[in-house]
Amino acid sequence: MSEAREDALRTRLAARDERALAELVELASPWLLGLTQSMLQDADEAEEVVLETFRVAWERVPAPEEGPRGLIPWLLRIARHRAIDRLRARKRRSRLGDRLAAAQVTATPAVEPDEAAHPGWHVHAAVHRALTELPDDQRQALRLAYFEGHTHSEIAERLDIPLGTVKTRLRLALGRLRTSLASLKDWVV
Amino acid sequence: MRAHDWFIEHRPDFVAGALEPGDEALFRDHLARCADCRAAAETLTADLAWLPLAAAPVAPRPGFAQRVVREVAHPQPRRRPWIWPLATAASLLLALAVWRADAARIAALEEELAASAAALAASEATLVATRDTLQVAFGADRVLQASIELGGMRGGLLILADETTHRWKVVVHGIPAAPADQRYTFWFITGDGMVHGAEVICDERNPAVLMLDMPAGAQLIKGGALTIEPRAGDLSVPRGTELAHLEM
Repeated sequence: MSEAREDALRTRLAARDERALAELVELASPWLLGLTQSMLQDADEAEEVVLETFRVAWERVPAPEEGPRGLIPWLLRIARHRAIDRLRARKRRSRLGDRLAAAQVTATPAVEPDEAAHPGWHVHAAVHRALTELPDDQRQALRLAYFEGHTHSEIAERLDIPLGTVKTRLRLALGRLRTSLASLKDWVV
Repeated sequence: MRAHDWFIEHRPDFVAGALEPGDEALFRDHLARCADCRAAAETLTADLAWLPLAAAPVAPRPGFAQRVVREVAHPQPRRRPWIWPLATAASLLLALAVWRADAARIAALEEELAASAAALAASEATLVATRDTLQVAFGADRVLQASIELGGMRGGLLILADETTHRWKVVVHGIPAAPADQRYTFWFITGDGMVHGAEVICDERNPAVLMLDMPAGAQLIKGGALTIEPRAGDLSVPRGTELAHLEM
């Protein structure tokens, strides 16, 4: 999203403009649903999380002069945290929290490019590429922690590897991604 | 390793969400005080801001966008789905009763209906309260526990802290009833000292379960304590014997 468009959208959202909300929903929903469905593996629950995310945006979006830019990453962060809360609640309720199949522990499969339908596709493609460039074991540790909300000890138990190895893999993965994704910071979606 | 080195080492783990719950709470507490770690965590979070876009987009189901706008911009008060079936049932029952021209029966049915409605309302209230309690219990970010030995009995104080809703579920169990001239009292330990929380009424067979909001105006909640206080006297500060003291 261009800076001008984000500023305008935030100003209108802060002024309770429903058309701005509809615009944001249209722009961000596919990505938020993609993230939450991949994490929760449940379309209904994913929709609820996305709904909660937009509720937060509607209630708390700061006007342009009141906070840094990055509306879409902000929404993604909220949705991810909410999804992780739900995953952890599942685990607490029953220790059967393994609805996510082991097969999910891979980079998201490349999908047919459709830039026209999804603004931001090129960012997705770049993130996907950065993830596929990670060694399998690092990508696996990252997915279990970042996208599935598992702690170090849970990952160690699940993969049957020492705790220190989990930490090392995760930190290496984050370090590499930090480098490869740094150029995305200023991309226009 | 210095204490601060631990935080430096675990910054990426915090951002990735991989810390154990206790460590994560410790890290959050540290972030509130350490500008360096806060800045480093924010930078790393910003560097990874687009990582969630790794997931492929999913087309919303038809009507989803309209539903979001409707529910977010025009939130409706909670509907009570049992009202309509109940109203329909009431109409049918009344029509049947009129048909029979049985006034006494109408009165009885109305009474029965009113009782059913009251029972349903009570059940709903219980359900809401239970859900509320379970939410705090299952959603507890921190669990603190201490044993209490009193009057030859061994009980305990349990605190389940939900840092999202800022409510605590406090359970006191396994201790004898307070003498008539005394009362058990729960206190919040804050940065400004002890703040009265609630009177705790329990005995060896009936534990006390309290759901407490954080005290108004308190900036830093450090823990909780249970004391036994003289029944007569004010509760501005604890004066009695401390039975349990828990700090996070």
